Amino acid sequence: MEGNLILKSEKQMSLMEKLRILADAAKFDVSCSSSGVERRGDGTGIGNTSAAGICHSFGADGRCISLLKILFTNECIYDCKYCINRKSNDVPRASFTPDEICELTIQFYRRNYIEGLFLSSGILNNPTYTMELIYEAVYKLRTLYRFQGYIHVKAIPGADPEIVQRLGLLADRMSVNLELPTAEGLQKLAPNKHRRNILAPMRQIQQGIAQNRNELVVYRHAPNFVPAGQSTQMIVGATPESDYHIMTVAENLYKKFELKRVYYSAFVNVNEDKELPALPGGPPLLREHRLYQADWLLRFYGFEAGELLSESKPNFNILLDPKADWALRHLELFPVEINRADYQMILRVPGIGVKSAQRIVRARRNGKLNFDDLKKIGVTLKRALYFITCNGKMMYPTKLEEDYIARNLISNKEKLPFDRDGMTYRQLSLFDDEQESLWKLAVNG
Amino acid sequence: MEEYYLICEDSLEGIFTGIYDAYLKKKPHEQIHILVKGEDNYRLFAVYENCIPNEEKAAKVAKTILREFGKETYLAICRALASKETDKGEAIYKTVVSGFQMKNRHQLMGNLANPAVHRVFELARFTANEVHFHIELLRFKELENGILYAEIGPKNNLITFIVPHFADRFPLENFVIYDEIRNIYAMHPAGGDWYLVHGEEGIKQIEHTFSEGEKKYSELFCQFFHTIAIKERENYRLQRNMLPLRYREYMTEFQQK
Repeated sequence: MEGNLILKSEKQMSLMEKLRILADAAKFDVSCSSSGVERRGDGTGIGNTSAAGICHSFGADGRCISLLKILFTNECIYDCKYCINRKSNDVPRASFTPDEICELTIQFYRRNYIEGLFLSSGILNNPTYTMELIYEAVYKLRTLYRFQGYIHVKAIPGADPEIVQRLGLLADRMSVNLELPTAEGLQKLAPNKHRRNILAPMRQIQQGIAQNRNELVVYRHAPNFVPAGQSTQMIVGATPESDYHIMTVAENLYKKFELKRVYYSAFVNVNEDKELPALPGGPPLLREHRLYQADWLLRFYGFEAGELLSESKPNFNILLDPKADWALRHLELFPVEINRADYQMILRVPGIGVKSAQRIVRARRNGKLNFDDLKKIGVTLKRALYFITCNGKMMYPTKLEEDYIARNLISNKEKLPFDRDGMTYRQLSLFDDEQESLWKLAVNG
Repeated sequence: MEEYYLICEDSLEGIFTGIYDAYLKKKPHEQIHILVKGEDNYRLFAVYENCIPNEEKAAKVAKTILREFGKETYLAICRALASKETDKGEAIYKTVVSGFQMKNRHQLMGNLANPAVHRVFELARFTANEVHFHIELLRFKELENGILYAEIGPKNNLITFIVPHFADRFPLENFVIYDEIRNIYAMHPAGGDWYLVHGEEGIKQIEHTFSEGEKKYSELFCQFFHTIAIKERENYRLQRNMLPLRYREYMTEFQQK
């Protein structure tokens, strides 16, 4: 039988080869964070976790490497158009054994290469069967190897809720990928997946965490259920949604599903499927970057998606970050007096981050702050100076005028995490208002 | 006006003793300065005094700082003490002085408008950042006898800040961390408490033989490291921003190839 043949060839495959195939197949999962839970070792095994998370290396793409990010297997019964592991692709297939996963995790962890394990998988036979395989590996790692480091596992949509519950008691973080921002996009590009099936485990995990919180109040030693919370990711640029649409979805996930993180993944066209847009300028990195900036504004700066974008202005400014863009449209609220304004308002000033705002509020208790003090505190004055006063005075005489400030902010080159020169006009066009028509053009042509 | 310069040993004990002796002088604090041994810019018309580290005096100062200013300040001062900068003694001394003039003394480290407090804050942040980098990027190699061995070359004297993290993480491992700049070993026996050993002078580099598994797993990790990067997003500038070059000579994945 064919199954036997596959098994045989797997036996001969070296661990090195398997790791290459199954790490390569996992690399498009964005999440690599090891944050959200602080746990000291109990002295009987190996490992602890740190609430802030620990990165252990940075790859050639500049992304953090924190966890051993691998698939259990890249066999898959689904045929999602954007995925390299889809059924119809002719790629080498491999599967780990639970022992191989445990050995790799422990040996990498001992050498301080990684912070833990990120285990995902293609779907073998059916979702429940696949999750049982993941469970077996994680169970072994936690009990036999007494591993107390970070474990992030995928909940696979469509799996039996019982196995999700069991796995949640072993993992620190679970995630279910939303894949695409809308149900229509999902139907078109991932015909085997359904929005309903994705949201069901997400809801289950949310409720499990809430219930666990209550149990922990009563019994301090009750087992932890997904203590580091859940996350998800969406592909950006494979379907024609606007930034506004994506931000609204993210906001709902944070509010209604209490997610810890939503990740955005600039679409990389690996399959060159006719349903997918060609991206000759490379993945839409600037767009992804703007979404992350806005995501931060939602989570840490008290902004709402509706303040940043709207139906009539559905996409982010390519030249200005979302916070500066917002400030320019609300000049009536500025300038802000640093020595008096409340924390929330100081947070909204471009050039002042969470840390600087906290330091300002603390430092001004001991006396009035001036611009020199702000500089020492870490405020980026060349951005902030248009929006603040210290003791009633601005730093330089400036006009409080949209065009004037916009011109000055843009002339100070924004620091982007990637090369501006590497961006082509085609990429920029993703931000045009005619985005949808361009997208259709790209798909059909 | 006479200026006094107290020359202290570069250690917690040395500088805390200096602070004690400075208070003992009962002179205006603006006239007293603390120097860390090794700085040799002597001035005219100033009195230089050598300050002999004294455990009792240092303990008193430590206790006072902890009691009057709280844990946050104490930790910041300890981090600043690990700094390689020589103005740390003066900054810490003047921070303590300014703290006693405050109403709410536990807010001392928040008073960033004060230059001395700001300097301690800066030094402490530099140490804390470097500590964090070492916790992230330190790499153990397994020796033939199963001991995990790591080499580091930090700018600040931070070994005591990183060992507790690894001791909690690997309670059942024998491991050694070696600061090759200062020639200090931190030893952690399996199931026991860790301690520091100062290396013998002259003998700096010992040749180590690594275990069989070391080659296998370091190669596997290098494979993983190269595979996990997305080619379409290659970005060496970002990599360099996140992972400074000076750490790479100690890191397994950059040593091979």
